[in-house]
Amino acid sequence: MSVLEVRNLTKRFGSLVAVHDISLTVAPGELRAVIGPNGAGKTSFFNLVSGFFAPSAGSILFDGADITGVPAHRRVGLGMARTFQITEIFPELTIFENIRIVTEVAAGYRLRPWLNRSEMAELRHRIEETMALAALSGKADRVVGEMAHGDQRAAEIAMALALKPHLLLLDEPTAGMGDQETYEITQLIRRLHKAGHLTIILIEHDMRVVFHLADRITVLDQGRLLAEGTPQEIAANEAVQTAYLGQAA
Amino acid sequence: MTADQRKHLAVLAAIWAALLFAPYWMPLFGGYTALGSRVLVLGLGAMSLNFLLGFTGVLSFGHAAWFGLGAYACGLALKHIALSTPLGLLAGTLVGGVAGALLGTLLVRRRGIYFAMVTIAFGQVFYYIAFQWLSLTGGDDGLRGFARQPLHFGLFQIDLLHNDIYFYYFVLFCFAIAVGLMAFILRSPFGRTMIAIRENERRARFLGIPVELHIWIAFALSCFFMAFAGSLYALLNNFADPRMLHYSLSGDFVIMAVMGGMRTFWGPLLGAIVFVVLQDYISSVTVNWMSFIGLLIVLVVLFFPRGFLGMLRPRRAA
Amino acid sequence: MLELIFFNVTNGLIVGAFYALMAIGLSLILNLSGVINFAHGGFLVIGGYLAYVLTPYIGFWGALIVSPLLTAMIGIAVEWLLIRRLYGRDPLYGLLLTFGLAFIIEDGTRQIWGANGLPVSVPAALMSSLSSRFFFITGYRMFMVATVAIVVALLFVLLRYTRVGVRIRAGTLDLETVAALGVNVRALRSFNFAVGIFLAGLAGVLAGGQLGLEPTMGDGLLMPSFIAIIVGGVGSLTGTLVGGLLIGVAAGLTAVVFPSASDAVMYVIMAIVLLVRPRGLFGEEGMLA
Repeated sequence: MSVLEVRNLTKRFGSLVAVHDISLTVAPGELRAVIGPNGAGKTSFFNLVSGFFAPSAGSILFDGADITGVPAHRRVGLGMARTFQITEIFPELTIFENIRIVTEVAAGYRLRPWLNRSEMAELRHRIEETMALAALSGKADRVVGEMAHGDQRAAEIAMALALKPHLLLLDEPTAGMGDQETYEITQLIRRLHKAGHLTIILIEHDMRVVFHLADRITVLDQGRLLAEGTPQEIAANEAVQTAYLGQAA
Repeated sequence: MTADQRKHLAVLAAIWAALLFAPYWMPLFGGYTALGSRVLVLGLGAMSLNFLLGFTGVLSFGHAAWFGLGAYACGLALKHIALSTPLGLLAGTLVGGVAGALLGTLLVRRRGIYFAMVTIAFGQVFYYIAFQWLSLTGGDDGLRGFARQPLHFGLFQIDLLHNDIYFYYFVLFCFAIAVGLMAFILRSPFGRTMIAIRENERRARFLGIPVELHIWIAFALSCFFMAFAGSLYALLNNFADPRMLHYSLSGDFVIMAVMGGMRTFWGPLLGAIVFVVLQDYISSVTVNWMSFIGLLIVLVVLFFPRGFLGMLRPRRAA
Repeated sequence: MLELIFFNVTNGLIVGAFYALMAIGLSLILNLSGVINFAHGGFLVIGGYLAYVLTPYIGFWGALIVSPLLTAMIGIAVEWLLIRRLYGRDPLYGLLLTFGLAFIIEDGTRQIWGANGLPVSVPAALMSSLSSRFFFITGYRMFMVATVAIVVALLFVLLRYTRVGVRIRAGTLDLETVAALGVNVRALRSFNFAVGIFLAGLAGVLAGGQLGLEPTMGDGLLMPSFIAIIVGGVGSLTGTLVGGLLIGVAAGLTAVVFPSASDAVMYVIMAIVLLVRPRGLFGEEGMLA
């Protein structure tokens, strides 16, 4: 059974068609990259899958169940987590506090007025575990808003991880990063993929990252599905090259 | 205990010491006890608003409605139901709080500037009702004919009406309970979700927080606190009038919170102190106090938006 | 009975036109700049009082044109000096600032001209009624409605067909893109603000002629403007226009059966709209939500 299946997904904004009749399937444990020129509809696609807005047509199945009408916060509970193109974190709080909020919500504590000692200990353990996974352990008390871009991104991914998802949607995780930071984030993603039975869908512009990480690649252009296949197949695909003509890789 | 925590405790101790001994040091500065009670009550109002505004990031500009509702309900209870101060307080808090919770369901569907507009409009509904429903509320003249009753403890009683100092400590006691409850909630997992929503609503939603529900809960809670403050205000003045429902009072609470520091816990109380004292002083000196208050607001917004305590703390942790 | 209904509905339309005029100005400013102009009523008052000052020199018709223009200029000054710094900040600050401004304007007006009512002299030609049967349709009321209709129509033409109007509309939807296209967004906002204030000033002149002037006259019109926007739908000027007329007419109709409740009915309408269609009659999903 596929983790994510999308059928004839379409999204219209008035006369503008952002996503046009896209169908695809992502298998468990796969690392899928979604690429395409600017304006191809990649982020809109993510927004549809994560429930940011509802589709104009088509359906979305998660673990075989139809989630098309399910609101965003419930999809999180079903095991889906995402990051955003512009890093979305809680800027005035520390890394520890950022992850704590997520961990508390994931543990079902969001409406609780207080926690007992053992719950607090358990929580702390999970937070530290998450920070270690994202290689942020030494930076627990730094305020996220003041950190370097790469660390902020890592923090955001850590927050998504703390939700214990089995599908992770990463929207341009290396955007705006220099070579060193890009390398570190790529290593992080690879580590997560190998370690946790995680299915990952990745939007990326940096082709080095894509070819380094992806099991399969989906190419979008102007809201439509242009091509899909292994990295080798896509690299050889002429239509893809034409679409990217003039676009820096 | 870390140095930070020690400092925190010292500050808290200082604040409570100042509040406990207020009737004794205030006269040294030309103050008087009833002014202190007034500052406490309005400060509680500002803190109740800040619970929503500063800690959840939700802009409500009609919060005086719940304050006024509490005041009227308290007065009406004292006037028509029973001569009991605690009952008046309870009635006021419940009526204002429940009304807020109910209407909150309509309000939380929208956010940002639109939400602010709707809260203002809703606030004015109550003002209008208070104004028009002469037989119940006394209209423009206000609700009169009730007074705070002594507290009965079996063998002895405490006269709240004629003894300003006793009343001050009663208000302080109520204030402490409300403030303690607020602090408790803000430090809980739920309180942290409120802060998450303030920091980044979209992120909060994508963490699995049902944002509308949490905002509604925070809204309802702040209405209960607000109504409690309003009830105390009715007891303070032995009087309730439509101005306690008007959006200009809402604006006053907002400016108190902003002036003192919107994202801090004690800021609004500090803002209330400054605002009440200033207003008291200015209105006794000139008839144009309105211009001065207006000017103060404009200056604070332009040059001092983080407020006193906001400036002292460059960042505020959860 | 029919006459009573006719009387009240006509009254309602006139009042509604008035609400619409105020609300449209407020809506313009809200849509493009994201600021709730609490001082809108204050600018109405300024418009009215300026007309009072000018009428002895340039007559009513002169004041009708010059006063709103002057008010708009004051508006631009205010926008430049004060409001401009708040764009991009939390909307709370815009609201607070205009709130404080409203205080200053009201008190200032009271200081200069006193708290008592002042009359605005209106040309005799407008004062006569249409007929003895329809005594309530005075020339002045017709004139008011006609003025509002003309001005609103001109505004819609401006927004639809002129370059600056198109930019304002585009800016309402997506200011970033408009800026990226090289439009001077600051000038655009100032112009937009000025137009909104012009409308408020005009409303002040008209109100002055009908009701006389006093420093608090702006307050009573602020709430109906808010409600007109909420009912009509945030982001839609047509909606605001319809909203204003609707609550005016509703108030008129209610006055037939329940005269004392006619002021309250606009709140009832607002509550219904919020329950049934929270985005307003003409509102777009996701507008400023």
